[in-house]
Amino acid sequence: MQNGKMKPENLLRRSTANRKLTTGCEILDECLRGGISCDSVTEIVAESGCGKTQLCLQLSLCAQLPISHGGLNGSSLYLHSEFPFPFRRLHQLSHSFHQSNPSIYANHNDNPCDHVFVQNVHSVDHLFDIMPRIDGFVGNSKNRLPLKLIVLDSVAALFRSEFDNTPSDLKKRSSLFFKISEKLKQLANKFDLAVVITNQVTDFVESSDGLSGLRIGNLRYLYSSGRRIAPALGLAWANCVNSRFFISRSDDSIGKDRSEKDESSSSSVSRRAQRRLDIVFSPYLPGNSCEFMITREGICAVQA
Amino acid sequence: MEAWRLPLSSSIRGKLISAGYASLSLISSVSSSDLARDVNITEEEAFEILRLAKQSSGSSSCNGSRSLINGAKNAWDMLHEEESLPRITTSCSDLDSILGGGISCRDVTEIGGVPGIGKTQIGIQLSVNVQIPRECGGLGGKAIYIDTEGSFMVERVLQIAEACVEDMEEYTGYMHKHFQANQVQMKPKDILDNIFYFRVCSYTEQIALVNHLDKFISENKDVKVVIVDSITFHFRQDFDDLVQRTRVLSEMALKFMKLAKKFSLAVVLLNQVTTKYTEGSFQLALALGDSWSHSCTNRVILYWNGDERYAYIDKSPSLPSASASYTVTSRGLRNSSSSSKRCSHKLSFTRAISHNGSENCVSIPAFSGLRSTSPRTISSRRRNASTISRSLRPLVRAATVETIETSSASSLVD
Repeated sequence: MQNGKMKPENLLRRSTANRKLTTGCEILDECLRGGISCDSVTEIVAESGCGKTQLCLQLSLCAQLPISHGGLNGSSLYLHSEFPFPFRRLHQLSHSFHQSNPSIYANHNDNPCDHVFVQNVHSVDHLFDIMPRIDGFVGNSKNRLPLKLIVLDSVAALFRSEFDNTPSDLKKRSSLFFKISEKLKQLANKFDLAVVITNQVTDFVESSDGLSGLRIGNLRYLYSSGRRIAPALGLAWANCVNSRFFISRSDDSIGKDRSEKDESSSSSVSRRAQRRLDIVFSPYLPGNSCEFMITREGICAVQA
Repeated sequence: MEAWRLPLSSSIRGKLISAGYASLSLISSVSSSDLARDVNITEEEAFEILRLAKQSSGSSSCNGSRSLINGAKNAWDMLHEEESLPRITTSCSDLDSILGGGISCRDVTEIGGVPGIGKTQIGIQLSVNVQIPRECGGLGGKAIYIDTEGSFMVERVLQIAEACVEDMEEYTGYMHKHFQANQVQMKPKDILDNIFYFRVCSYTEQIALVNHLDKFISENKDVKVVIVDSITFHFRQDFDDLVQRTRVLSEMALKFMKLAKKFSLAVVLLNQVTTKYTEGSFQLALALGDSWSHSCTNRVILYWNGDERYAYIDKSPSLPSASASYTVTSRGLRNSSSSSKRCSHKLSFTRAISHNGSENCVSIPAFSGLRSTSPRTISSRRRNASTISRSLRPLVRAATVETIETSSASSLVD
């Protein structure tokens, strides 16, 4: 406890060194004031096919960039609970990542994928099994870059099948949320990591208790593909994250683009549909939004 | 000690107080002839008053033999103490006015709301505002910020601190023209220096830290506000033994209460919102359950009303329930732009002064407390309580309550 005592000024000095992870897109970084914050849990909420996995893949590559390039000079750990993991897409992104950063990858044999560690998670228990071992994983980083980013894609998939909608199950579920969040925040604080968690959405149903329509954050209603939706896992989970970003597809793009069925299949390249990232809440960011596209090279914001 | 605790006849006591001799120290500083002339009484009577004053100031210094129990005070003394207590401005004058001038020292105030409503922003704002120097109507104190969630962002604190310094400079510039006040020498960096930041990563750490606070504050007497963001987070994972959780929490609440009284500081506990399952439906309530809701003196609930953020006083022994809107801007907490423009930042500073200055200020907390028992308010309270759960009220009923009650609160302050 005594070690935890410090003045914010000390933190400030540490933060000027670099505590933000670039998203790999300048415009998006500007919108997020430098990118994803370290020592903090950031949630990305979106329906499938909006690009949350794309953004996460890109972030896990960007973490290895040197600090001068907006990276964290570290490796990343990608915990995925949605199957299959898009290896081909990661490979494709890493290829263009390699090419777009020639100064860093002077040696042709350097593969950016070397610094992305992938681990599958198939249940909540499995996640609790993995998390304590991350400590050892970070500490044991002699021959590689230190771990600087943990991605959990997605938290909703872990919970959606296992739990019923009964009060006792919901209670048990939310205590698990807090347990997961506490552990991730401990890791984030101890090793100055950025933690990114993706979450799914549910369709908004006008129900009698009226609580699913509870407004959380800057946006009054969340719309994606023309439907009103709500982030999955409800209010309890919303208390577990520091920042929440929301990605939506714009209405006019759904007519042109109906290929959202299989977001992880890497063969369907360069969809030109416009997507929008909104900051729902964050302790350091004002309400803001940014439109972006997903190209072969990754996520690329569109100047408003 | 107050002059009017002297065992005197009511007519003489009345004369004494109306002549301005409110405290014993004032009385004992004059001679009996001066006192007789000022108060318009005979010299014998004046002499008697001086004798009594001497006696009772002697007795109060030798460990209060007049009080039955050591440390007991009468309500009048406490009222005067409460009036003289400084309040920490929230930088939003509408919010200040429903709070009776700001967050009160010596109290534990709980602030709760949904994620993204601005709890952390209020916490950061208070930790900056507590440092506004006395010349500008502040407390000139320091802050302890206990962060359990990791939402304390230094870049944001710096931003709010910079805005606060700018406002103070503007204010002292304004003061210069009138009073020749000293230039405020405060920099954003100093403000960050004066926030003791604790990052707590588990509930054991949280309990240990709360136990340590007494010692820490004894060593840092300038600390005038303790902010816990949030009290809840580590206590919402699986506690198998809910009885134990309740016990731990109420012990913690007691310790905060003691700190608040002992060091005359404000404790602000931020709380989360949860859904509560009652009578077959889910309702919204602040977390940690019913027993916790007794732990705090004041309770403020933050909620959305349309596109505006509102704060609602859900529980307070001295304030009428009322709501006010606020916004979170890049400069920190401010009045909502749609609310009346009557209060600029400058005004909110001067208002803070008149609260802290002892003489020209009529006790707002006390009188608004009396006012809250007006029939209108009671009927609206009763109506709310009967129709819906207390915890849901601010979200559903806010619009109706607010129209009645903000008007009464603001008229009091003005």
